[in-house]
Amino acid sequence: MTRLLHKPLKAFALYALIILIISVPVYVLVIDYIWISELDENNLLTLQHTKQTLESKKFSQNDIEDVNHIWGELQPGFSIFKAKDKTYFRDSIYEIVRANNFDESDSENRFRGLKSKIELNGESYFITIETNVEESDETFFAIAIVTFVFFLLMIIGFILLNNRISSRTWKPFYQTLFALKSYELSKEHGINLPTSEIVEFQLMNESLEQMVNNNVDVYRQQKLFTENASHELQTPIALIKSKIDLLIQYKNIPPEMLDIVNSINAPLSRLSRINKNLLLLAKVENQQYSGHKENNLVPLIQSTLDLFEDYIIDKKLKVSNQVQGSINVTANPYLLETLIHNLLSNAIRHTSAEGKIIIKNEGKAIYFLNSGIDNLNRKNLFERFSATTKDKVSSGLGLAIVKEIANRYNWKVNYFFTDGFHSFSLVF
Amino acid sequence: MKILIIEDETELAQDIVNYLTNEKYLCEFAPDYQSALGKIYSHEYSCIILDLMLPGGDGLMILNELKKLNKQDGVIIVSAKNSIDEKVKGLRLGADDYLAKPFHLAELAARIESIIRRKEFDSSNIIVQHELSIDLNSKIVTVNGISINLTKKEYDLLLFFIGNKNRVLSKGALAEHLSGDFADMFDNHDFVYAHVKNLKRKLKEKKYGDYIKNIYGTGYKWEQ
Repeated sequence: MTRLLHKPLKAFALYALIILIISVPVYVLVIDYIWISELDENNLLTLQHTKQTLESKKFSQNDIEDVNHIWGELQPGFSIFKAKDKTYFRDSIYEIVRANNFDESDSENRFRGLKSKIELNGESYFITIETNVEESDETFFAIAIVTFVFFLLMIIGFILLNNRISSRTWKPFYQTLFALKSYELSKEHGINLPTSEIVEFQLMNESLEQMVNNNVDVYRQQKLFTENASHELQTPIALIKSKIDLLIQYKNIPPEMLDIVNSINAPLSRLSRINKNLLLLAKVENQQYSGHKENNLVPLIQSTLDLFEDYIIDKKLKVSNQVQGSINVTANPYLLETLIHNLLSNAIRHTSAEGKIIIKNEGKAIYFLNSGIDNLNRKNLFERFSATTKDKVSSGLGLAIVKEIANRYNWKVNYFFTDGFHSFSLVF
Repeated sequence: MKILIIEDETELAQDIVNYLTNEKYLCEFAPDYQSALGKIYSHEYSCIILDLMLPGGDGLMILNELKKLNKQDGVIIVSAKNSIDEKVKGLRLGADDYLAKPFHLAELAARIESIIRRKEFDSSNIIVQHELSIDLNSKIVTVNGISINLTKKEYDLLLFFIGNKNRVLSKGALAEHLSGDFADMFDNHDFVYAHVKNLKRKLKEKKYGDYIKNIYGTGYKWEQ
């Protein structure tokens, strides 16, 4: 992930780099061309001047050899020597790489030369003029260094400018982003976004505010619906419960009738539990449990075991609590409690009499193991009403609630079966 | 002692009245916010059972009103919402207890008994049942002056029985009293038998009368 403003910066930098790299050989070619044409022109002018001077001075043959000798001493670039034949010769330009007489240490110097023919005293002479030209690789190297320095300056400039733009122009955007990030719908208040002078930002903020306000309305309605549903269902359940309580007060009820009355209790408590759990699920989904604090799981597990003690003793289960140290988890305390209650009651209910339950922790993970026979279907184990059991009280929602709470806090809940134990793991 | 039941569900209110009314309690009933306010202004109650969702107003406003009038009536909130926020709000506004619907009538009766006892006896809070006496502050139970060593659950059961004398208590009601909200997570409440058996044995050892009767197929009854 890159930040918004880093993306164009990268592209700009890359583009600048490519352009600058291409510019280096182009510069070299252009400079070389200018240089060489200038030199050739200079050579030609010098040659013409020299030729005129030589022709007007009427030097003898010996004089010319002396001149060549003196030239060789004073200005090694010039030379005049006798041609073997008198055939026509066109002025020619050539390039040679040789050691510079003035600079013995550098054996490779580029020279630009001009060779011409002249008639003096009836004899043909060749005149050559050679001028030192900078080697093109040296030019290339120098331009590359300069370009690179400018590239660096450009990048530094880009970064500085970018930071300036980001801190000024994009400030309202980041303020909005921050406000959205820290926003919680379950707190049921609208969102206050800063006003901006930039049209797009202002438009975005207004749209977001409207969207959030709509969501708050929908959320309120949903919550109200949940509460109403709860009220509507709990009341008839409460009524049935109280009627049964009153009914059993009567004396002389025939035993067969009592059996029927008692058999109403099991489905009734299941109905009550399903309703309670559906509500809880709806509330967790609607993010209605918003308060967070740090909780230590170790005492929570122990107190849950104490709470369920009767059921553990009743089934003669062996419970081994191997949790060590402290496991601190930040979450809503009620949800965390519900999570642990569901996992442990699940283990107690689904372990056959005299079975074994083990609770242990490793790092940031906690494991609830209970003895069992068969691997359960992992695929829909955590789904609602996935009915892996014929259990009469099971609401079919216990593990769905576990999963929902875990999802809420980005914890991982998993099931596997090893060595005769069902193992539910929770990774924080 | 007078008890006011503020509940919009007439059937349920009537059940509560039927269950509670005996030689000790006199029950009155208010089905909506206005009639509840009227009764609160004109009478003193030992205990008020308050449903929060009422036609005509929020039950929490009644708590506010009681506070303003500086009334000492005990209040049990009875609510279908079972939300922590609501519970905390209610208790903060001066309610003494919170009971989520659905509940067993026996549980409600025991809680009313406990609140009334708390309101009536400030310093020495002792229940006497023939030779048996229970010191609620120190939680010491004695028969003829000799103390009995009860576990916490046996002690809770004893109080529950005494709060529901002469009424049949189902196994489910007893289990819910001992395990609270979690009882319905389990299908088997046989552990209740073990606790009641132990309680009966301990009372019998100290030569206390055998008041706890088994009721066929249903549960138990404290007959007196």
